[in-house]
Amino acid sequence: MTRLAASGLKVSRGGRWILQSVSVEAQRGEFIAVLGPNGAGKSTLLSVLAGLLKPEEGRVLLDGQPVAGIAPRLLARRRAFLPQNPRCDWPLPVERLVALGLTPSLPAFGGFTAEDGARIELALAACDLLEHRQQSATTLSGGELSRAMLARALVGDPDLLIIDEPLTGLDPRHALDAARRLGRLAREQGKLVIAAVHDLNLALRHATRIWALRDGRLLADGPAATTLNAALLREVYDVTGCVAGEGAQAYVDYA
Amino acid sequence: MRGQRRAPLLGLLLAALAALFVLSLLSGRVWLSAAQVWDALRSPSDQLPSLIVRELRLPRAVLACLVGATLGLAGAVLQGLTRNPLAEPGLLGVSSGAALGAVLAIYTGLATALPLATPVLGLLGAFAAALLTLTLGRGGGVLVLILAGAAVSGLMLAGTALALNLAPNPYAAYEISMWLLGSLADKSWDHVLLAAPFIVAGLLLLASTGRALDALGLGEVQAESLGIDLARVRAVVLVGTALSVGAATSVTGAIGFIGLLAPHLVRPFVGHEPRQVLLPAALAGALLLLAADIGTRLLPFEQELKLGVLTGLTGTPFFLWLVLRLRRVAP
Amino acid sequence: MSFPIGPAHSVSRGAGALIAAAACLLLALPGGAGAQEPPRRILSLNLCADQLLLALLPPERIVSLTWLSRSEGDPDLVPLARRIAANHGTAEEVLAAQPDLVIAGTYTTSATRRLLARTATPLLELPAVQDWAGIRRVTRQVARAVGAEARGAALLSQMDATLAALARTRPADPVRVISWGGGGSDVPGRDTLFDQILTAAGGENLGAPLAGRASVDLEQLLQARPEVLMRGSAYAAMPAVRNQAAAHRLIQRLYPQAQLTYPEALYGCGVPKAAQAALALRAQLLAARAARGPR
Repeated sequence: MTRLAASGLKVSRGGRWILQSVSVEAQRGEFIAVLGPNGAGKSTLLSVLAGLLKPEEGRVLLDGQPVAGIAPRLLARRRAFLPQNPRCDWPLPVERLVALGLTPSLPAFGGFTAEDGARIELALAACDLLEHRQQSATTLSGGELSRAMLARALVGDPDLLIIDEPLTGLDPRHALDAARRLGRLAREQGKLVIAAVHDLNLALRHATRIWALRDGRLLADGPAATTLNAALLREVYDVTGCVAGEGAQAYVDYA
Repeated sequence: MRGQRRAPLLGLLLAALAALFVLSLLSGRVWLSAAQVWDALRSPSDQLPSLIVRELRLPRAVLACLVGATLGLAGAVLQGLTRNPLAEPGLLGVSSGAALGAVLAIYTGLATALPLATPVLGLLGAFAAALLTLTLGRGGGVLVLILAGAAVSGLMLAGTALALNLAPNPYAAYEISMWLLGSLADKSWDHVLLAAPFIVAGLLLLASTGRALDALGLGEVQAESLGIDLARVRAVVLVGTALSVGAATSVTGAIGFIGLLAPHLVRPFVGHEPRQVLLPAALAGALLLLAADIGTRLLPFEQELKLGVLTGLTGTPFFLWLVLRLRRVAP
Repeated sequence: MSFPIGPAHSVSRGAGALIAAAACLLLALPGGAGAQEPPRRILSLNLCADQLLLALLPPERIVSLTWLSRSEGDPDLVPLARRIAANHGTAEEVLAAQPDLVIAGTYTTSATRRLLARTATPLLELPAVQDWAGIRRVTRQVARAVGAEARGAALLSQMDATLAALARTRPADPVRVISWGGGGSDVPGRDTLFDQILTAAGGENLGAPLAGRASVDLEQLLQARPEVLMRGSAYAAMPAVRNQAAAHRLIQRLYPQAQLTYPEALYGCGVPKAAQAALALRAQLLAARAARGPR
């Protein structure tokens, strides 16, 4: 059972409110797309939910327990977090990069167990990286690197995945791939996936739910199909547009 | 795969270290045969070979290994922490702090009154510098820490220059500047005994940061999300460096390049994961310093060459090679 | 180098004689009447000249001495030196003092030379001294220049008497001595005043064959098997790294009571009092040998 609940989150920076009284709830099996224009507070919200940023007011509960009170290593085993444009500073082989995701469960000294090895294989396979396992992370293409990072996040088998803009910068096929993968993780493996997304079509078709933010306020919270509409587009992004179609054929268009 | 190349490299480094250690016992201005050295090692006496081997060459070789390992490991850890291939043990101001402390001990005459005042004040200097760096860099990221280290280094160097400037006589100034160049000549077991506990404690602290350094390769945010307490890691690195590099510098003076080079020498064999680099880099550092110290004794100069001079002279070409190589492999 | 100021045992061997021959009063004393009258205001720019002037002249005829004379000179003369003004060798000080004779070492800066030439101040340059003959020559030379010939001659005859007495009672088996300043510092060789004083005192300078090298390390020191270690005391009152090298536990263990310090101003400068230094050293060497017992 995974249940994330945040209430009354307030964060300010440089005298400006980044989050103003945001309250959200989410549970396992959901793929939540966090929408909003640049500067709406999406990244800040994700950091707070991940327990990496302390809000000035409000609190975040993971299964009823305040995340601020969970030991960082224990929290890290249950929750994976990927920032925007994650990268690796050392030219590591992909499999070593993926293995770094096991850090919270490894002892300070010593190598990997057979079980660790199996987890790494699983994560590599899940992200179609088996043929790249020996390739240096610094030579991967954008799509490959983002898959490698996702594998890094998945390798520890977390219940909660918080990812900041996993689809940005990918070509349509890779973006589609990635969105499907996140959707499957929620539907088939029962994980809770929360991701900031700019591609409204992908959000509409693959997310189970959307949170729309603007100026640090939560403007909408509900199933993607019913919540994302012309009124919300105007309210959130200041654009005139329309939402049409249903299910996998649903699309967003704006002028 | 990397793991398969690491074990042979470690074996090779250990074998080379053992060979150089023996060579170190054999080299000096007084010629001793291998048989004499062997006898001296086995049975202590007040005969000349025994005194030379047991009281002069052995502590010198042991100190070279300890100090070299310190420089190599500290270099590897700091390169890992800052994710900067040019980081070296003096980055956080610790070695200049140690140098200032030692120079003050010499300058104030404490060193004359208490034979071990130089290393003790050196350690205090290292800790003062570390504390200052930590205070200045608190709350910021690694970049702020580096800047704080640079500022503290500058302050400590200025203090040393002031001590040189105000030195009571030209001889003291000459001696201080010679001391700063680094040397293992005429060191005794007293120095080993004094420095070893601090060096070992520091090395253990530094070695314990391996996992955190690996995670830091993904950037500070990801490392933190993986449960790494960054503030704690920075503090551990700083204290570990202050202990080990501080103790090493205050006994031998400042020795450059080894901490910078050792990690680069082993990376082609063990890969770039910081944790995998630590132990080989420590061994490579010990190897380099031992070799340099043998060099100072075997090179036919009238005045024994200072260690810092030798490592600087031989280190620079390596450094150039490194720059050219990085330019080729850099993405 | 163990003693960078003024002539010392590290000054290149053999050059001293040449310099001594070349040394002279560079300028005639100014003025007609001054030619006969000895200079009244004498200024020294050299630690060794300080020592000679203090031995030859009443303090009131000395305008100023080097600042080093207040700490590094012959310990017996330091109290006297402290009563006289000190200079740091700058041109300004020399000008302000208006000396009528300046005594300097052989390494006077060209700036000072030019300055003295422009003010027509006579300059006497002292050569480095490496033996008893050199002491006689330089003492006479300075005594003549300052008009204290009688005092100079008395000091020299006293020196020769002391040397003769020392020669008569020389021990059959010289005490094996090495002068060693600690890590990396030099060891006085054969052509040094130190060697002469040590020999007169009844010691054997074990450092002589090693002195070709600029430094002697602990290994070589042990190999030479000295009975007594000597250390120059220049700056002994000052903190120095070499004191630490000399504090090596091996040295302390092997030579607990056989370490002598000597005033370097007396052993390096070339003053008549060097004979008394030799006399004092004789007693110290024999005492150290007795304390050490048979080995």
